[in-house]
Amino acid sequence: MNKTLALVLAAGQVDELLTLTERRPKSAVPVFGIYRAIDFVLSNLMHSGISNVGVLSQFRPYSLLRHVGTGEHWDFIGRTRTLNILPPYRGQKESDWYKGTADAIYQNISFIESHKPDNVLICSADHIYRMDYQPLLQFHADIKAEATACFTKVISKSKRFGYAVIENNNKIIEYVEKPEKPPTNMASMTVYLFKTSLLIDLLKTNAKENSHEFGRDILPKLVKQEMLFGYKFRNPWYYARTIKSYYKAHQALLDRKFDLNAWQIRTNLIERAEKGDRVPARINGEVTNSVISEGCVINGQVANSVLSPGVIVEKGAIVQDSIIFHDSLIQNGAFLKRAIIDKDVLISEHSELGRSGSDVRSKEYAELLEDGFTLVGKGIKIPARTRIEANSVIFSTARDIPEEIPAGSTLK
Amino acid sequence: MKKNIVAMLLAGGVGTRLNILARKRAKPAIPFGGIYRIIDFTMSNIANSGIDVVGVLTQYKPLSLMEHLEDGRPWDIFGRTRNVEVLPPKTGEETSDWYRGTSDAVWQNFNFIEEYSPEHILVVSGDHIYNMNYNLLREFHEAQQADATVCLVRVPEEEARHFGIAITAPDGRIADWEEKPSKPRSNLASMGVYIFNREVLAWALARAAKKNGYDFAKDVIPVLLKQKRVCGYEFNGYWRDVGTLDAYWNANMDLLRTGSGLDIENWQVKTNMTDRGEIGDRPSTYFGRFAEVRNSLISRGCMIDGSVENSILSPGVKVGKNTSIRDSIIFHDVTIGGQVEIKRAIIDKDVVIAEGARVGIGESMPNATYPGQLFTGLTLIGKTVRIPATGRIGTNTIIKPGTDLARKKLRDIPPGSTV
Repeated sequence: MNKTLALVLAAGQVDELLTLTERRPKSAVPVFGIYRAIDFVLSNLMHSGISNVGVLSQFRPYSLLRHVGTGEHWDFIGRTRTLNILPPYRGQKESDWYKGTADAIYQNISFIESHKPDNVLICSADHIYRMDYQPLLQFHADIKAEATACFTKVISKSKRFGYAVIENNNKIIEYVEKPEKPPTNMASMTVYLFKTSLLIDLLKTNAKENSHEFGRDILPKLVKQEMLFGYKFRNPWYYARTIKSYYKAHQALLDRKFDLNAWQIRTNLIERAEKGDRVPARINGEVTNSVISEGCVINGQVANSVLSPGVIVEKGAIVQDSIIFHDSLIQNGAFLKRAIIDKDVLISEHSELGRSGSDVRSKEYAELLEDGFTLVGKGIKIPARTRIEANSVIFSTARDIPEEIPAGSTLK
Repeated sequence: MKKNIVAMLLAGGVGTRLNILARKRAKPAIPFGGIYRIIDFTMSNIANSGIDVVGVLTQYKPLSLMEHLEDGRPWDIFGRTRNVEVLPPKTGEETSDWYRGTSDAVWQNFNFIEEYSPEHILVVSGDHIYNMNYNLLREFHEAQQADATVCLVRVPEEEARHFGIAITAPDGRIADWEEKPSKPRSNLASMGVYIFNREVLAWALARAAKKNGYDFAKDVIPVLLKQKRVCGYEFNGYWRDVGTLDAYWNANMDLLRTGSGLDIENWQVKTNMTDRGEIGDRPSTYFGRFAEVRNSLISRGCMIDGSVENSILSPGVKVGKNTSIRDSIIFHDVTIGGQVEIKRAIIDKDVVIAEGARVGIGESMPNATYPGQLFTGLTLIGKTVRIPATGRIGTNTIIKPGTDLARKKLRDIPPGSTV
């Protein structure tokens, strides 16, 4: 069997998730109550029998470092099983902050060489899916490919993806990154498998250029040389690049579009370094079509929502279509609709968030915040009887919350 | 390596009166409160009191207990100078054999204690539900300049005959001691928690062993009372011995009763969360569109489509549509179909209950085989039992582990039966 080294890109500095990525990288954003985004790729790698993993991190990495730790939660620990976090480093000629996905890997060529893999598997840490990479490795070997990229069929042809035209012989004849008009509905999952020697050659050549992205710079070049093959993945695939897509993944969970139990995702169970373990959820209210984590105390109404551990919903509070992170408190008489609430938030008595919906987009983030969501940053305390209208975002740095917050507002 | 205090945790209890719950696991390893095991309460008390060397004395079916304790990591008693050591009986040495009693177990492992040359030895049981800071006990013991101190708790008069009972003197000493007396002279019961000065304990254990005495309550404490300064420390918090099915069920239900004193949220109990050695971690619990849950504790990994009231569900329980569960304790990965009715039942792991079955019905008459154990209307379903569609299981019934009622073509089990 060929040896495969996996590199997980958790480096991207993308603030499209607004306050959710204010203090954490996208890969560390809480997902489905108890997980973080990176758990999905790490669990996939574990289940696929890949034993050596490097995680490339750069942007606000503390919560990610703490979460991933030594890799022991995914069994990447032992004499031949390793997980290394690869932050940017200085003091050597060729090192600096990562300038793009290809550069991040270029700067870690020595790490790759030290493992002597036959192939390098490159994955992103912000995708929510269950995939066995073994069939991909087999496909790559069977067709004697040196470069294979994974694609999935998407319904809404978002501008955020790369798209490929894949021929019947699996060869990619066209690849375009973030096009205005996608030529197909086969979107790149940003999962790439390279023969190690080819990857190193490509990275060394790319390093001399001005742009250092796999999607924009390296894949099109390979297509031109007729060297890139496409592997089609047919199972559910979600991503956490935008508020809308992040919410959609949670909606799919509630709609039971997939069986999360069967995905066997592992996480770091020692979240938030609690002195005692969290008690099972204490339920004495109305909870319907929702996912509730341990340590929650529900005496009010919760519908179509996903709650992380330790959320308290008091009697008389109503939570609808919302996602609430760890240890937030929703007091008596509060009303939440399509709210995404970060950790340790207080929603005081009789406050209302997103009650009437709104067509008014976010003024500051028109592209990112529409569809009636309301976002509240970590640790924010919303005073009693505050009204926050939809498409508003309150960052964790906001001070003095006014009583009325009109639709589309941003508070920093 | 010198330590001020070493804890010796007695976890060898057979738990006969807990019937099939203790069939394949030691009593301290029986699940409690959804995600915990009984021993977690004592282990957490030890950890939260800052004691970092623990000898765990096991004997009876220790496998699930040893897996659960792991290397002490779940309680942070782990590292180069912190240690949870499982001490099973051993042969091949002069002083070793099966443990003949609680004090014998400690005596056979006295060399483990001496490695740390502690001033004090804390002896605790692994089968009680309580939250206690043992530092306060040690401070009391030191202030009293005692040789040994016994923890005491007030129990209802009518229950006193089940315990070791202390008669205390005004100066804090224990003047007299009665082990399970028919006519108790006080209601101050021993909690099975003791602190000893090391030399005193070594002397007392050696002396007891010479006279074929192997039990703390029967052989060690009565002798110490006469010769040394033994004090009583009264503990005022919630404390339950969960040695009977009724006591076990009631202590679980105390988790759901406000003001019961079992304040699990504030007790900071730790457990080993890698339960059942799963490949993946269990996701948070899904509550379906028709779920109705009242006053219940629901662990992770459950799927609830029916109605659950006054009940405690361990991880991985599935509850079908139009199913009703009342006043019950359900262990890990039990699958309950639709239109099922369950009342006052304790259901062990991996049980499958098919559509339309009813558990805990009919008149309450004591169990015919174990009338002293099962008489209050509870129903006990053993591990991996399968109950067929529309099956009827009467109250005070025991279905033994592994029984496939469907294959046995048993559909109607009258109250008080044992299958």
